[in-house]
Amino acid sequence: MRKFIYLAVIAASALILIQSCSKSSGGGTTPTNTGTTFDRKGMLTNISTNIIIPAYTAYQANTTTLDAAVTAFNANPSLTTLTAVQAAFKAAYLQWQSTSTFEFGPAAQIELRVNTNTYPADINQINSNITTSTYNSGLLANLAAKGFPALDYLLFGTGADNNAILVQYTTGANAAYRKTYLAALSAELKTNATTVLSAWTSAYKTTFVNADGTDVSSSVGYLTNQLVFDYEILKNYEIGIPAGVQSMGTTFPQKVQGFYSGISLQLLNQHLAALKNIYTGASGLGFDDYLISANAKYSGGSLNDGIIAQFAAASAKLQNLTDPLSANIQSNNTAVVAAYTELQKLTVLLKTDMTSSLGILITYGDNDGD
Amino acid sequence: MLNTITTKLNTSFKVSKHIAPLAVLRIAFGSIMLVSVVRFILRGWVSAFYIKPKFHFTFYGFDWVKAPGAAGMYLLFALLIIAAILVTIGLFYRVAIIAFFLCFTYVELLDKTTYLNHYYFISVTAFLMIWVPAHRYFSVDVLLRPKLLVNRIPGWAINIFKLQLILVYFFAGVSKLNYDWLIAAMPLKIWLPANSQLPIIGGLLTQTWVAYAFSWFGAIFDLFIGFLLLDKRYRKPAYVMVIIFHLATAWLFKIGMFPYIMIFVTVIFFSERTHIKIINFFKLLLPRTASHAPAQYRLPQFKANFIYGLLVLHFAVQVVMPFRFLLYPGKLYWTEEGYRFSWRVMLMEKGGTVFFHVKDPKTGQKSEVINSQYLTDFQETQMSTQPDMILQFAHFLAAEYEKKGIKNPVVTAESYVTLNGSGSRLFIDSTVNLATEQETFGHKKWIRPFNN
Repeated sequence: MRKFIYLAVIAASALILIQSCSKSSGGGTTPTNTGTTFDRKGMLTNISTNIIIPAYTAYQANTTTLDAAVTAFNANPSLTTLTAVQAAFKAAYLQWQSTSTFEFGPAAQIELRVNTNTYPADINQINSNITTSTYNSGLLANLAAKGFPALDYLLFGTGADNNAILVQYTTGANAAYRKTYLAALSAELKTNATTVLSAWTSAYKTTFVNADGTDVSSSVGYLTNQLVFDYEILKNYEIGIPAGVQSMGTTFPQKVQGFYSGISLQLLNQHLAALKNIYTGASGLGFDDYLISANAKYSGGSLNDGIIAQFAAASAKLQNLTDPLSANIQSNNTAVVAAYTELQKLTVLLKTDMTSSLGILITYGDNDGD
Repeated sequence: MLNTITTKLNTSFKVSKHIAPLAVLRIAFGSIMLVSVVRFILRGWVSAFYIKPKFHFTFYGFDWVKAPGAAGMYLLFALLIIAAILVTIGLFYRVAIIAFFLCFTYVELLDKTTYLNHYYFISVTAFLMIWVPAHRYFSVDVLLRPKLLVNRIPGWAINIFKLQLILVYFFAGVSKLNYDWLIAAMPLKIWLPANSQLPIIGGLLTQTWVAYAFSWFGAIFDLFIGFLLLDKRYRKPAYVMVIIFHLATAWLFKIGMFPYIMIFVTVIFFSERTHIKIINFFKLLLPRTASHAPAQYRLPQFKANFIYGLLVLHFAVQVVMPFRFLLYPGKLYWTEEGYRFSWRVMLMEKGGTVFFHVKDPKTGQKSEVINSQYLTDFQETQMSTQPDMILQFAHFLAAEYEKKGIKNPVVTAESYVTLNGSGSRLFIDSTVNLATEQETFGHKKWIRPFNN
């Protein structure tokens, strides 16, 4: 027996030599954890209290205003009430950019994101809903015929100017059902917003704060996964696909978010700022503090510095563009693609560096650590 | 010394032993496999891993292993359940264990996304169990055909399992003997603080010294536990350590059934007296049956020789496989060339993102690929850090774009990987057209060096 142990020790020592010669070089850049405990619960408390719930509160107020403006417009369609609906639409759509990330818990239950913002809008489906006077919000085919993209089309895209659009709701064919449809869409947004907000303010906030682990179904796991996922939506759908980066250079300017209202870039900037705000936890504990406490490294410096710098670099490139983004794509796509490329770099930092430095699991399934 | 070892091996492999440990192993392995397979189905993984994906990452040389569709997949898993039950109770044992081995291995070969060392261990154990008479004692087979009953078997039939387990632990220990694990306490320095919410020990897990203590203890445990279990003086405390170690890892990490499988299977190390006691305990729970005069298990010489040859070959492969990485240049954890099938578990925190670009050589126009159009999250995550999978997906993309009418599409991968907190860096040479690179056992020159 003893001989077996001796043999094992000898073999092990020989192997230590082999392995340390060939592999030690990688260790020089590994971070040294400071050993301080990061208050994950504190981060969750901060983000839910100061970011998520205020976002849903504002969003619920905005959709209420929008729904009321639609009601007023339907009762008395005029250029004034139309302009009021359009303004309320823009305000709500902008607020949605700060709300879309939190697709877990109450929002995930009603699939808020796809029900609110599936674009490009399906014009044929919308028009056929109107001509046949039927709209079933539960139908899968209606995902691209509801929410903000459908409203964007109905309020901005059904005529060359507001006078022409107004006609659609007064003397145009199917004007009555068009109004009914409009009202159904704004009401659905409001109902969904109210459902999610009340779930958060009643019980879910406590659930959220208490799930303070790091696996896939912990709140940090949800938040990280959704931060990354929503960021990829921004990168791919708000700019990449329209600019043709996934279609051999063929551009699709009409696929931008908010194509008819022409506020795509404004929405994009708002979205990026909102994601950064979640990352930094506004002025409280956020992922930035978490990464600093884990002493996460990137390219010789701190990972947090790298991420903040990349947010700035991407924003700077977006400053070179102007609304409507669809026109930019047609006239100056090089600048659009340049902005996309800068945004792409941030994907890597958030998706790979951040999750890996914090040991956050991003997929289901067993693992044995490879 | 070598001489004494050879004689020792010779005697311990030929000397006649009581069959009880083998019967216990059969019941332990069969029942834990039943639990594993049922758990896998209940989690929805059959569908998520084998039915839903449009593309599978097959193993090199096993492209012919194809997912048989939803009905076929569930049939395979139904067979696995039946086989696991039959193995446990020892009915139609040989057929059952062969079916289990084949079905399980087939499923594992479908997609390397789901590769886990513990699945490999299950395949290996099931393979070894084919060659031993585990059903000839305390089994339904014996109940139906009392002539099958034997009570003495040659030592090798039990000792091959001990040897296999020793190899698993020992190589797992050896793979921890490197700079990252011992000196930098990586990846535990990342993984342990991620569990700081746990009651009682949560606060400790954020301490640096705890990461070091766990790393060193883990390495020492793996290196020596197999040998300690062999010696009857240390066996009991060693087995207690096995239980504590595996339960701790089960608590801290998402490693599924592996800890419980090891706790069950390592029972084989106990003496035949202990195993007879276990069997007697089981007998108390079952109706009494008439006993038959037991006999010594004997194999015809040609069969025995065949099995000996097979086992020698098997263990030779087992001993050599974990060292094949030495044939490849570069840092093993980075290239993962020679990484699988070597009992390297929980060794690295590796993450990556990969963007594929397809270029039409005729027009020079480029497209970025949305990987999620073709891959599940799980597949994409696994692919992003493993060069052979990146190459497979590049070939798949080349074929897809050929179908779309682009001749000889150029497929490049822009990928960033971080290893044990190194910070992400370029992983694959993003100028290389992967569509024209072939998979071989040779070194992939297009993997960029870790340090640059």
